Amino acid sequence: MTGEAPFLHFDRLSKSFRRNPRDPEIQVIDDVSLIVEENDFVIFVGPSGCGKTTLMRIAAGLEHATGGRVVLEGEVVSGPDRRKGVVFQSYSSFPWLTVIENAEFGLKFRDDVPRREKRDIARHYLDLVGLGGFESFYVNHISGGMRQRLAIARTLCADPDVLFMDEPFGALDAQNREFLQVQLLEIREKERKTIVFVTHDAEEAIFLGERIFVFSARPATIIEEITVADHLEGERTLELKDTEAFFHLRNHLLELTRAQARRTEEIVSGGGEWRR
Amino acid sequence: MPGDPSGLRSAWRAVVAFRGSLSRRTEVMLAVLAFALLLGLWLAVVSSGSVKPQYLPSPAAILGAYHSLFTRFEFTHDIYISVQRVAIAFGIAAAMAIPIGILMSSFRVVGAMSEPVIDLIRYLPVPALVPLTVIWLGIGEVSKVALLWMGTFFQLVLLIADDAKRVPHEYVEIAYTLGAKSRQVLRWIILPSMLPSMVDNLRITLGWCWSYVILAEIVAANDGIGHVIWASRRFGKTPEVIAGVLAIGIIGLASDQLIRFVHRRAFRYLR
Repeated sequence: MTGEAPFLHFDRLSKSFRRNPRDPEIQVIDDVSLIVEENDFVIFVGPSGCGKTTLMRIAAGLEHATGGRVVLEGEVVSGPDRRKGVVFQSYSSFPWLTVIENAEFGLKFRDDVPRREKRDIARHYLDLVGLGGFESFYVNHISGGMRQRLAIARTLCADPDVLFMDEPFGALDAQNREFLQVQLLEIREKERKTIVFVTHDAEEAIFLGERIFVFSARPATIIEEITVADHLEGERTLELKDTEAFFHLRNHLLELTRAQARRTEEIVSGGGEWRR
Repeated sequence: MPGDPSGLRSAWRAVVAFRGSLSRRTEVMLAVLAFALLLGLWLAVVSSGSVKPQYLPSPAAILGAYHSLFTRFEFTHDIYISVQRVAIAFGIAAAMAIPIGILMSSFRVVGAMSEPVIDLIRYLPVPALVPLTVIWLGIGEVSKVALLWMGTFFQLVLLIADDAKRVPHEYVEIAYTLGAKSRQVLRWIILPSMLPSMVDNLRITLGWCWSYVILAEIVAANDGIGHVIWASRRFGKTPEVIAGVLAIGIIGLASDQLIRFVHRRAFRYLR
């Protein structure tokens, strides 16, 4: 492998599908290229249904592209494996297992870890996400926010190279979401993971991300790439959200996504131009 | 407070609340109450004399029938035979339906080939199959077990396939991204995730198996509860007929409650 090869390369990705053989083809992603560096925290933001989740799922190996490819550390992604961890919004942990068993599940298929160390590693990550003391609880008996933290702990147990997160805090109330955002930044500080985070929430995107890719309405194309450090200075604390710079950037992002959301509405309701 | 009318009124409101919930104790008490009301109605009809005893015997006559069935006609043996037939047929049906149902949902090719065939057989009424099982397999044990098996397997296999299909796809994808292979996904995700609804479906189909065993025993058998019911009818012994029918109800209720109990114990995480 050459030293200059990018860590995670989305290489001219396209995706289209037909609902039925006789329906017109629907283009979801249109020739998207981007590069994620190691230890990057990258955000995909865009209106609902724009194809940003599909883009992430292709990179995680959970879906196939119809054009282009994704290359992770010099290897073309062809299916899911332990190098590409995923945290979903719902059904993110297994209800028939306790909290500690859920975390240990992340180590179940690892041959590189001796069996007796697995419980200790699981405990370590549960402590990291603040779930120490809840080991024997079942998933249905903890809160939605705790379930998402558990999902993060379990994914970290598997020691992936990239962590894909698909609107992981989307189902939580505002306070809980903010709390988990802060915690995710702390976890990242300690773990130094490459993260690809999908959201439609502009504030979340700016608060968490180092680089933000703004996507158009379907079919998804990149309409702007924002490097957050160019606009914001200082530590990522909740106070940052009250600064003027944060406010400006948020408004800019909102303008972009709102315009695209309107276009999505037209496409969905009016049977717009993609039917051509 | 006992005797406090407003306390009584709020207690009544709690019991009759639309989509409300009741304590386990209240539910048991209400179930006992329902049985008591039914028994009271029965006693009232019998003692009024408006229905002749050969149509509706008194509860005491039923108890007498049980006494003579157990002491003089080896009813224990008939119960044992019926339970055995159900156990064998249902055991075979379940042992086949669980792996085949999971295969049907896991591999589209298996599902696409077997679903239409099974759907066709499933809609054949079991009583209509009785003559065929007699022609093919005679009137021995095999014929009876085969009838019960046909009545349950084809229903059960589709229910199991559905249970497996309803496992959230997220669970499967999470397992793959943690490094699991297909076989491990089946063992560690599909099976444990579908288990509670599978146990429910086993419980329900076991109930159907009980109605088919009576059918099989009425047609051609020298023993079993169904045979007792049919033979008693021939001699005009209504109390014995009702005793036989009630015995099935009691056994069915007992097995159903047993499985419910196991379900509650084994799947605490659902609550």
